[in-house]
Amino acid sequence: MSETPAAKPPEEPKGPGLCGQFLKDHGIATNRLADSCGVETIEIDGAHLEAAMKLLRGSSEIKLDYLVAVSGVDSADTFDSVYQLWSYTNNNELIIKVRVKKTDVVEGQLPLVPSLSRFWSAANWHERETYDLVGIRYYGHPYLRRILNVWDWDGHPLRRDYKQLVDSLNDKAPGSFR
Amino acid sequence: MATDTEVDLTPRLKTDEMLINMGPQHPATHGVLRLILTLDGEIVRHTEPILGHLHRAQEWQGQNRTWFQYQALIDRVDYLSGMFTSWAMARAAEVVDGCEVPERAEYLRVMVSEMNRITSHLLWLGTYLIDLGAMFGFPFYPFREREKLLELFEEIAGQRMMFNYIRIGGVMRNPKDAWLSKLKKFTEEFPDRVDEYEAIVTENPIFLKRTKGIGILRKELGMDYGITGPSIRASGVDIDLRRTKPYSVYPKLKFDVPVNDRDGDTFDRYIFRIREMRQSNEIIKQCLDMLPQGEISGKKQIAGLRVKAGEGFAAVESPRGTLGCYIISNGSDRAYRIKWRNPSFCNLSILPELLKNHPIADVMAIFGSIDVILPDVDR
Repeated sequence: MSETPAAKPPEEPKGPGLCGQFLKDHGIATNRLADSCGVETIEIDGAHLEAAMKLLRGSSEIKLDYLVAVSGVDSADTFDSVYQLWSYTNNNELIIKVRVKKTDVVEGQLPLVPSLSRFWSAANWHERETYDLVGIRYYGHPYLRRILNVWDWDGHPLRRDYKQLVDSLNDKAPGSFR
Repeated sequence: MATDTEVDLTPRLKTDEMLINMGPQHPATHGVLRLILTLDGEIVRHTEPILGHLHRAQEWQGQNRTWFQYQALIDRVDYLSGMFTSWAMARAAEVVDGCEVPERAEYLRVMVSEMNRITSHLLWLGTYLIDLGAMFGFPFYPFREREKLLELFEEIAGQRMMFNYIRIGGVMRNPKDAWLSKLKKFTEEFPDRVDEYEAIVTENPIFLKRTKGIGILRKELGMDYGITGPSIRASGVDIDLRRTKPYSVYPKLKFDVPVNDRDGDTFDRYIFRIREMRQSNEIIKQCLDMLPQGEISGKKQIAGLRVKAGEGFAAVESPRGTLGCYIISNGSDRAYRIKWRNPSFCNLSILPELLKNHPIADVMAIFGSIDVILPDVDR
């Protein structure tokens, strides 16, 4: 369980894909990663995420207006926030990853990624869920509260270093979170 | 004891907003959902859903159980349409792994999944009428047909609801000829049964009064919230993965996807599910005719089942919408990360918008019409 994903096969040099090129034309730098099962995957800096999402969603040619899911991944040395984008009208697909290096996270604080929920309602609950389970703090979120676990739960269960107290659900146990 | 002389003790009518807790043990919440309603008189002004009463850490289990163990567990993610949750994970694992699925297995998958879509919609139909207050026994009509399908499921998978039938690489068991002929008989009589439900419900004046013009879902709002499934098709968005991102053998089958031409209300969401059931029945008929001979699994079903390293996302069209599964595998016997994209979770997030400015009596009519199943929300 504590193993990290095996090293990816060496990447062949690839030019930017459809969406990467589109973002480049609008002055947003992206880093193309290995395609995941044939779907264009790009890495983007957190600072540009909001602008990039607005462009991708609003443009009439790309029109990625369907935010399928936001997932959090605790990778080997980064926290990834992964966005699956589809379209209601065409067949475009895109995966966007925002990576926060574990070394950049201040001790005792959570990694920070900008929230999309101010202009995209679909992101609201997905971001709450990722905050709850993986512990990524989406700044600018209107109501970032635990959604699946109870509000006073301790820690973030899908972190690799998460350890649940054996008796955490028994409120008589001294180490219980209640 | 201090006395407060400022307090006005004259009786008066309270007009301020009132907080009301609905659930979690409410019979019409299809599981355990708690809604905190802010009421102005009997008009709902604000809703806050509280989730997580059925949280079973399914994603955590995915990282800590082997693929083979986890396959048996995921039917519980959405217990009314277990075939689809199995299929979503199987598809995701197959695209990551790159293994081939035999054609016979694909046909069997489509067949059992469409049966499952019918059972899911039938259960929705029965319980929805109870949500609306029709306690006169109507639910027994759809449950009669559902029972027949559940018996067929029991025969082929050994279980009535937690099938574990669709496996990574194929399906578990070959159906017998007697099973196929029983299913054929069912498909022949099913359209008449749907006519029966419609005769009771569709033009019923009480039903129409409770549903027409209630809970109108605007197309743009639905797309903003990422709504999928019959709920958004009833509002005029043409998205059905079986057609827009075709998978399995769906391109070879002929079927219609009913799409509305205006913003749908509660009644539209009812009628589109009815139409979907008829289409599913047609799909099953075609599958029965086209079912080829051959292998049923492209991967050995052993306890040490492994999936090659990689990551991928795959989705299927479940009765509630896009059911997706995002897998990161490191080539070991268990997943590095499994993320579920559940249609109920996403569809439920729109509930506060739909309930706004509706009387409290319509809460369950609207909530029932988006067909949410709580284990699928909380996993």
